[in-house]
Amino acid sequence: MNSAFMEAAISLNNDYIREWKEAGKKVVGYTCSYVPDELLFAAGILPYRVRGFGATEATIGDTYFGPFICSLPKAMLQLAGEGRFDFLDGAIITPGCDSMRRLDECWRKAGEDIAGILPKFFFHFGVPHKFADYTVKWFVEEINRLKNEIERHFGTSITDDRLRDAIILFNKSRDLLDRFDGLRIADNPAITGTEALAVILSGTTMPRDIYVELLEGLLGALEKSRGTMQGRTRLMLVGSASDDVNLVRLIEGDRAVVVADNLCFGSRFHVDRVDETADPIEALAKRYLAKNECPRMYGEYAGRLKMLTDKAGKAKVDGVILQNIRFCDLHGSENGLFERDLEDAGIPCLKIEREYGPLVETGRLKMRVDAFLERIEQRRQSA
Amino acid sequence: MRPELKEYKFDSMLWNTFTSAAKLKNGSDKEYRTMLKYIPYFNGTVAAVLDTGEPGRLFIECIAKYFENYITAREKGFHNAITTFCFSPGILYAMDVYPICLEVLSVAQTFAYRRGTAEFLDYCNEVGYTETSCSSQRGTLGAFLAGVGAEVDMVLTDTPGVCDTNANAFAFAAAYLKVPFFSLDMPPVLVDQRTDEYHNSDFKALIAFLEKHTGRKLDIDRLRLVLKEIEKQEELVAELEDLARIVPNPLPVSFNLMVYATRFLFSGMKECTAALESMIRVASDNASRGASGLSGGVEKMRAFFCYIDHYTNGLRLWDFLDRNGICYQGNILSRSWAHTAPHVKEYRTEAAAYSFDYDDLDSMIRTMANHNSRMPMIKSIRGPYDAPDMWLQDTLSLAKMYSADCIIYNGTPGCRNTWGMVKLLARDTEKAGIPTFIMYGDAFDDRVESWEASQDRLEEFLRVRRLLV
Repeated sequence: MNSAFMEAAISLNNDYIREWKEAGKKVVGYTCSYVPDELLFAAGILPYRVRGFGATEATIGDTYFGPFICSLPKAMLQLAGEGRFDFLDGAIITPGCDSMRRLDECWRKAGEDIAGILPKFFFHFGVPHKFADYTVKWFVEEINRLKNEIERHFGTSITDDRLRDAIILFNKSRDLLDRFDGLRIADNPAITGTEALAVILSGTTMPRDIYVELLEGLLGALEKSRGTMQGRTRLMLVGSASDDVNLVRLIEGDRAVVVADNLCFGSRFHVDRVDETADPIEALAKRYLAKNECPRMYGEYAGRLKMLTDKAGKAKVDGVILQNIRFCDLHGSENGLFERDLEDAGIPCLKIEREYGPLVETGRLKMRVDAFLERIEQRRQSA
Repeated sequence: MRPELKEYKFDSMLWNTFTSAAKLKNGSDKEYRTMLKYIPYFNGTVAAVLDTGEPGRLFIECIAKYFENYITAREKGFHNAITTFCFSPGILYAMDVYPICLEVLSVAQTFAYRRGTAEFLDYCNEVGYTETSCSSQRGTLGAFLAGVGAEVDMVLTDTPGVCDTNANAFAFAAAYLKVPFFSLDMPPVLVDQRTDEYHNSDFKALIAFLEKHTGRKLDIDRLRLVLKEIEKQEELVAELEDLARIVPNPLPVSFNLMVYATRFLFSGMKECTAALESMIRVASDNASRGASGLSGGVEKMRAFFCYIDHYTNGLRLWDFLDRNGICYQGNILSRSWAHTAPHVKEYRTEAAAYSFDYDDLDSMIRTMANHNSRMPMIKSIRGPYDAPDMWLQDTLSLAKMYSADCIIYNGTPGCRNTWGMVKLLARDTEKAGIPTFIMYGDAFDDRVESWEASQDRLEEFLRVRRLLV
């Protein structure tokens, strides 16, 4: 696998960002997969998914957030406070969940105390929690509000033509990632889940045209490769946001392979397409709001269960790992339902709660995953 | 969960408990005092409420009636719905859907039982619902998930966009119980035309949902009656709020709880109106005599609660306040955001308030949508805490208007939303010159931090800040 993917996955500020900035261009961060990043790209801005990867303490995060808050936004604030996001010219905060949306105030207030950590463009982007004609209408207006603010602040113009070009490019990357997913679920895949997560999430950290080129190269190579994962236990990884490939590495060890996922830094990144023939803003609104893979879209559990069940079947998984970051009630609770219903359907599940970043509790997680793999093995033997 | 808890329907037991409690004072005082000894864990609440006189009796009767309504709804050919405290029940009453407000039922349990809601809280975790979720819903949700509550027809909430952990509780309930679900969604901004239209469209969708699942058409005349009753109640609440500005405050400390709980249960219904009118009679009488509502008769200081109260094991928070001469100047739960509310008029925030219009169905739906979108919590914490018409502005203006000497935050560890910003809020209210205290306990679960420990910390704050000398 091209090392560019892994390098982008395990660093905050990579060579592509540095080159982009050296060319005098802007980078805007966003915190949730419900932000239509095509809009930024069409403005000549690099969209960058803000991450918490690499935070080693929470002194700044804990100063502003209360104690009962998910450690991911705390890690993001920590990194921001340490100046690790200094390359951002802007940030877009969304109500992906309550912990994440309060990053808005915490980052702003931290910015009053620590000079220079708050990007000059700072935007609270509302995203409805359901899909209906009136919510789409509202979301169209919200995207237009974001578009106008980007144009005003950065002195740029997002024309329909540029937006259509961005939509076509981003759809192409989604097509390629679908092909990539097809290779992941092969009987004997040629790529680990660790590498796969790196490939997918690196798309949120580099210019999409370069990403498409890299993907095309990777797919060409993978399609010619021989599989190396024969005999490994096939797993699907589901749940809270995870941008740390080390979590997948820990799960896989040398006995398992994560062949599918439903993570917002993973496969959720590329589901569905934006209609290339419709009004571009409306098409973006429909695609992004119709994404029901996240439990923030309330009342859609049945659809998500079906999607997971189908995915598990296609990927021929031996088991599903349902993980949530502590205080992530949305994923944590839905994982409880998934566990009940997937087990009823004969799919073994492991439900784990963790802190953000695997290294803080590697031993405990590894022990539970190993026990789960043994359970699957015993089940196989007794079948 | 202990097997014996599954022997009886929890809500039928509470119905009987509160029905009996409302009659306790029907006999002689000696009989009443004797009876209190037989309810050692409930007597603190009963005495604190019934000792306020008629309002207390009406309040307890309201709770008993509420249980009766939803438990017997099906046999009467009506429906019921699990819902939340900040979902105005008016539209439900207009359509013969009896609400089951999880949070109020949790409070009823913490008032009545020594164990509070502990076993139902834990039962939720047993079936996969996170232990980090808000205890206000979890304490009652567990009972319904365990099948020891009434049969449920549907689940409704209006907190997406306001409180994830709340909305998630209801979504989980619907998925677990396999019953229909509807949620009203709240945009982050309160005052703009786009938001108004969104609320309105969403409310129409709610009505369509209710019509579909009840098989009944919305009766315009009934809706009008409910709205007129809500308007009357808002006037009564405004009067109580005005009375609370007098020094000494003529309202007994428990009135605030009784005001908001009654509205959560019976907004738009005569039961709520009767309780509010009774409270006004008592408070007006106190005011005319220049008497404090505190049982000691001496008002030493005034506290404003910027979020919710502490409900575990009886009314011990209220008892603490009353014993120490601390006047309870309200919280965000008790406020009305009708355009006639005193604080709305004082601070000229009519744009963020709502008014009543009965002209036709559309105007009534718009009124209901606006009313609902300005319910406690829905109104104040949907957007950034320091945005216009949001938590900081509301807290500061109410604390100032009601002459609070301090601001106290109490919530639950499950409240991701307020814990994400309460440190910032406290910093700003302190900068504004109002001592502010953050309580770290759980309003519904004494196991997180005992009330005694919470009380110690609160006393320390009052002592260190020289608020209560």
